[in-house]
Amino acid sequence: MAEFFQLEEVDGIRMPWNVIPGTREDAFSCVVPVSAIYTPLKPIDKMTVVPYSPLRCRMCRSILNPFSSVDYNSKIWQCTFCFQRNQFPQHYSSISENNLPPELFPQYTTMEYISAAETGPVAPPVFMFVVDTCMIEEEIDYLKSALAQTAELLPDNSLVGFITFGTYVQVHELGFGLLPKSYVFKGTKEVSKEQILDQMCFFSGKQKPATGVIAGTRDGLSSESISRFLVPASECEFVLNSVIEGLQKDPWHIPADQRASRCTGAALSVAASLLGVCVPGSGARIMAFIGGPSTEGPGSIVSKSLSEPIRSHKDLDKDSAPLYDKAVKFYDQIAKQLVHQGHVLDLFACAVDQVGVAEMKVAIEKTGGIVVLAESFGHSVFKDSLLRIFQSADNNLGLSFNGILEINCSKDVKIQGIIGPCTSLEKKSPLSADTVIGQGNTSAWKMCGLDKKTSLCFVYDISRKVGPDSVAQQTSNQLYFQYVTYYQHHEGQMRLRVTTISRQWSSGSASVQELVDGFDQETAAAVVARLVSFKMETEADFDPIRWLDRALIRLCTKFGDYQKETPSSFSLSPRLSIFPQFMFNLRRSQFVQVFNNSPDETAYFRMMLERENVGNTVAMIQPSLISYSFQSEPMPVLLDVTAIAPDKILLLDSYFTVVIFHGMTIAQWRNAGYQDQEGHEVFAKLLKDPHVEADTIIKERFPVPRLVVCDQHGSQARFLLAKLNPSVTYNSDNAAASGGDVIFTDDVSFDVFMDHLQRLSVQ
Amino acid sequence: ADVKGLPRPLEGDEEPAKVLEAYPLNCHPRYFRLTTHTIPASQSLVSRWHLPLGAVVHPLAESPDGEEVPVVNFGTAGVIRCRRCRTYINPYATFADAGRKWRCNLCTLLNDVPGEYFCALDASGRRYDTDQRPELSKGTVEFVAPTEYMVRPPMPPSYFFLIDVSVSAVRSGLLEVVARTIKSCLDDLLGFPRTQIGFLTFDSTLHFHNFKSSLSQPQMMVVADLDDVFLPLPDDLLVNLVDSREVVETFLDSLPNMFHDNVNLESALGPALKAAFMVMGQMGGKLLVFQSTLPSLGIGRLRLRGDDVRAYGTDKEHLLRVPEDPFYKQMAAEFTKNQIAVDIFSLSDKYCDIASLGSLAKYTGGQVYHYPSFQATTHGEKLNHELSRNLTRETAWESVMRIRCGKGVRFTTYHGHFMLRSTDLLALPAVDSDKAFAMQLSLEETLMTTQTVYFQVALLYTSSSGERRIRVHTAAAPVVTDLSEMYRQADTGAIVSLLARIAVENSLSDKLDSVRQQLQLKLVRSLKEYRNLYVVQHRIGGRLIYPESLRYLPLYILAICKSLALRGGYADVSLDERCAAGFSMMILPARRLLNFIYPSLYRLDEVLTVEPERIDGSLRRVPLTLQCLDTAGLYLLDDGFTFLVWLGRTLQPELANNILGVSLGNFPDLSKIQLRECDNSYSRNFMAVLRTLRDKDSSCFQLPRVVRQGEQPREGFLLLSNLVEDQMAGTSSYMDWILQIHRQTQS
Ligand SMILES: [Zn+2]
Ligand SMILES: [Zn+2]
Repeated sequence: MAEFFQLEEVDGIRMPWNVIPGTREDAFSCVVPVSAIYTPLKPIDKMTVVPYSPLRCRMCRSILNPFSSVDYNSKIWQCTFCFQRNQFPQHYSSISENNLPPELFPQYTTMEYISAAETGPVAPPVFMFVVDTCMIEEEIDYLKSALAQTAELLPDNSLVGFITFGTYVQVHELGFGLLPKSYVFKGTKEVSKEQILDQMCFFSGKQKPATGVIAGTRDGLSSESISRFLVPASECEFVLNSVIEGLQKDPWHIPADQRASRCTGAALSVAASLLGVCVPGSGARIMAFIGGPSTEGPGSIVSKSLSEPIRSHKDLDKDSAPLYDKAVKFYDQIAKQLVHQGHVLDLFACAVDQVGVAEMKVAIEKTGGIVVLAESFGHSVFKDSLLRIFQSADNNLGLSFNGILEINCSKDVKIQGIIGPCTSLEKKSPLSADTVIGQGNTSAWKMCGLDKKTSLCFVYDISRKVGPDSVAQQTSNQLYFQYVTYYQHHEGQMRLRVTTISRQWSSGSASVQELVDGFDQETAAAVVARLVSFKMETEADFDPIRWLDRALIRLCTKFGDYQKETPSSFSLSPRLSIFPQFMFNLRRSQFVQVFNNSPDETAYFRMMLERENVGNTVAMIQPSLISYSFQSEPMPVLLDVTAIAPDKILLLDSYFTVVIFHGMTIAQWRNAGYQDQEGHEVFAKLLKDPHVEADTIIKERFPVPRLVVCDQHGSQARFLLAKLNPSVTYNSDNAAASGGDVIFTDDVSFDVFMDHLQRLSVQ
Repeated sequence: ADVKGLPRPLEGDEEPAKVLEAYPLNCHPRYFRLTTHTIPASQSLVSRWHLPLGAVVHPLAESPDGEEVPVVNFGTAGVIRCRRCRTYINPYATFADAGRKWRCNLCTLLNDVPGEYFCALDASGRRYDTDQRPELSKGTVEFVAPTEYMVRPPMPPSYFFLIDVSVSAVRSGLLEVVARTIKSCLDDLLGFPRTQIGFLTFDSTLHFHNFKSSLSQPQMMVVADLDDVFLPLPDDLLVNLVDSREVVETFLDSLPNMFHDNVNLESALGPALKAAFMVMGQMGGKLLVFQSTLPSLGIGRLRLRGDDVRAYGTDKEHLLRVPEDPFYKQMAAEFTKNQIAVDIFSLSDKYCDIASLGSLAKYTGGQVYHYPSFQATTHGEKLNHELSRNLTRETAWESVMRIRCGKGVRFTTYHGHFMLRSTDLLALPAVDSDKAFAMQLSLEETLMTTQTVYFQVALLYTSSSGERRIRVHTAAAPVVTDLSEMYRQADTGAIVSLLARIAVENSLSDKLDSVRQQLQLKLVRSLKEYRNLYVVQHRIGGRLIYPESLRYLPLYILAICKSLALRGGYADVSLDERCAAGFSMMILPARRLLNFIYPSLYRLDEVLTVEPERIDGSLRRVPLTLQCLDTAGLYLLDDGFTFLVWLGRTLQPELANNILGVSLGNFPDLSKIQLRECDNSYSRNFMAVLRTLRDKDSSCFQLPRVVRQGEQPREGFLLLSNLVEDQMAGTSSYMDWILQIHRQTQS
């Protein structure tokens, strides 16, 4: 697998099949679709950035790349995708085999172009804060201090807007200066751009143009009128601080049997329309800080009466969540509006209750927003994550805006769609497949917000048929994929990143070994996880367990070594060997076993799953477990209940949560304070090591995971136990090792699972 | 005939003081005046009277000598009232059964005297304590009302300001004057320490202001959804002045700056009124509206219907003078119901439909202030004084007024600013010493059987100090069978007050011309009746005869016809000015009304040389006719609202220059002149004259304007139109008028 990882380092891309099944039928029988997980803005070591525009094929608009064949004499290059011959322009006249432009260097399969001519002036990023005030004082105070800290970190050139809401929406006019001033909107209505223009006096004292869309400085609005609400961070420090300092609990009385009147939907609608009026097409993000469920106006998820509980997965399943569909529809509208404007919705949901992440998911995902879920604004998951966004250190997220991603593929490869944070631009082309998965029907996608880690899953469709014609026609066995991402870099200028990769077709029917050699089981697991998650959300009555089991069995039947009907003969090549374990853990994961979580949590998990790279996805599916003991160096151990021992410390990384678990004896020693005594330095180090490792993990992850430090038999131990293979349960035959643990579950253990798998695969 | 010999009211109003000689237990006539201090004994007598039969009530009139109205607290006895007709005990009540009973003078019912209130009677049946008890010895008393007279705890005085901040308000300097004035009045607002205050500003949007006491500065919240107005905050929009004093002061200091750059042309007055109602609804109080742009957005938006020359003389003429949109009357009804009185300060250089806006004041007991073409530099001082007066004059809150009268007579119609809550109950969310009311009487029976008819005005209100009070004025009038006695006891001031109000009201449903004709007709009929009475008795013909009591009436009726509200037609007065004058005439007390329609004119050039302390005594009024103006003279005309300074053509330039502070020879623009005290005795005396005249009546601040003889057209509309004795376009001179009336009385 190391080679796949290395490929990822160069191009930010991983594919489950690195040799492409040669025909449509082959591809179908391979179970896991031909696909790719691509991280468009992945920081690439020593990546070249050139200060000019790329050369495009005049036929298919694909970009000149190292795989293009070049005739240096006639100064002609042939397109990798459509084979069109293109003349180099005048300024390439000095090109020769010894004088290559960077885009033809073989190692520059991924590179970037910055063209000043094409991009114009640097647009400042816009941050529109949308802050809930229906919270207890304590939470407001936490949020205040987090926001105050954020305000200090905002880039000087960025533009800031501020909206608060509760019963009503208040848009603060940060540019007013003289006194705190805000515009107030009812919480019960959406607010259109037209209304924003009229009601917020954008044409005060002037005649409003009779026709046409009016928005932004380029299209009829004065910059003075806009700068009332969007003010450079460097100029509004004082006002912003006083607004944050002045944040108060929503003043309207709440009857004891009711929830606060919280108009999240209207607030987001106002924010979206205001941005649409002021900075359409220019990078902007709505950062929503929400402390409870929306109960008022559009997008509300529950009624005000406390006697009505917030919808659960059961309610959604039984169709007894009356507000759900309406709310999702509303947020889908918001998503469309934001995508049209090129703006992002970020959500910071911090509440003990659900706030409606499940409903808002569509708007966050389609705009490529960030989501952070925590129990309190005082929790480090929230505080540290928020800081991370604006920290300019190495771990910064590289938040970028306004991405448009286009693809090119060799003949016979079509795109079904993308599962991930983006929106189809509905640019149907010969490349778009008839079947659609996720954001499809297109060969171009909008990514209003994207960062260094945003990873998209492209699901392809192989249309090649078996036949003498097609084989004969094929001059080469190579095929190519090109990814072109045009985006606003976090430093402001527009950039174009091009990744061009080449893969081989598998050759005919004797290709099983080729396919197995090119199989990247981690990526395959990540793709399957995205697929199953996507299907669970979109297909009614979808049975994920059954679907996963059948897929795994089909895959094992096709690629396993065995004698028919002899389960004991079954074996898998190392290329596939851990795939069943991934599937076993995926079946038990929060992505499939949703009933253990709230719909908000599930939505959150899915959004993270759908935007992370392969490595992180694998951690979500199958947490890693490291054991620390006196006996040996820290070592990875099987995710199994047998890993627990009284004299060991375990470090579990399940991506969302990092657990440090002290065995009973370790905990007793620690409680006795040995680590502070002379002569026990080794014990002190043993206690400290897992924390050091946990810190490393936490530092590079976003959102910041939750750290749980617990002891064996403590109440928090459930965070570990839930993830372990239940090889020893209360009803299993084999007894627990002395000092080990037993898991109270009816889940099957991995061994039982494998037994079944082998039996079914060989049938 | 001899022009000079014609009667002229150069002493102004004549209060019928002689009534007090005949009825010493009556309230002072400044509170209550009948148009004739008699009650006709029969319908036939009424039908021969021709002039209105009624009264003028000025319940909170200020006493010139500062005399206080005695306050009576009945304590546990409760307020003593007639069980049947609810009349309050008064000096005309009589006691019987050794003091255990009292007889109601209005309905004659014998009531029990509560034990706590008992007092023995002397030989003549008078209570021994009569002289110690104001309610038994004085026509005007004030009772402390116990809790039965409250539907809620007495409200604190509460002021809510609705301020137009559209571009025309900003440019005129209105905001500076208003903010500065309010700030200077904060210590004197009524009801310390309970005073409530709040502000709402508006243009095309509504700006609420949060004055929460813990804030260091106010917060402005803009609500722009005009179709669905809502309050952005549950509290802190109307706050206790003591608690939030600093925030309020910060607001007033920043108000002009807040909108300094505002270029908004629109006015959402209607939605702003709704918002104000939502803020004040619970509490009630005074709503002061400063309006500068014709309401253009949302509910209550008004058309620039303006003044239509084609409408004059047609059946549609009066429609110009009535509200076009029922919104304002409906809103006024809501305000009154919630104890909110609305004062309109209209400060516009364009048409702003005073007819519609004024109805807010009309039905809420409020007042209309009109400052056409307001500019802070010129009108600032006037606005400052009048707003200060408005904010600091003693005010009665959440009040109702009822006038009871004895058997056989009944008040039928009421004229003034109020909302009629039932047939005889006037709802007055706020009322003060600047408001008078008029009402008409009729006989209920064909023949009166009593000798005397009693009247009792009762105003139930909350004082600024938070006490519930009842102010009671009681008066008696004799029943007469003789028409000449009615003429003898006629009260011209009361008649003119009532006639003017009726005429203004008629102008809302009829052509100006018809209204004037009706006035003339009443005068003619009345004088004809009188003539008949005397021609028969005294056989004098050939002369216009009138009773001494009505000697000024012909001139006053001519003056009503020539007043701003009723004069001429399209071109003579702007529609807004006409309506504003009409609203003023509906509330003015008699003395001010008379001076408004027949202004005081003084020759000043001679006064300017006297010793300063002799100024007051040297002021002599001259008739309102050009004939009386000496071209070498300096004259001052005072109608209670404006001072007009007229410089005769041959006036010594030195005098003019000294007063104006500039050389008249340089042809300064006199419309822009500001009169300030200059360092010379002329100027000092001149300013002393203005001060003297203003001190006589602080309810209004006369804005000085200067015009020189022959300076047209200013002289025309500033002075000549006020010379009511002279012939003007389409109107008669006093002499012609008299001849005309005389002719008609003979026919
Ligand atoms: Zn091409
Ligand atoms: Zn009675």
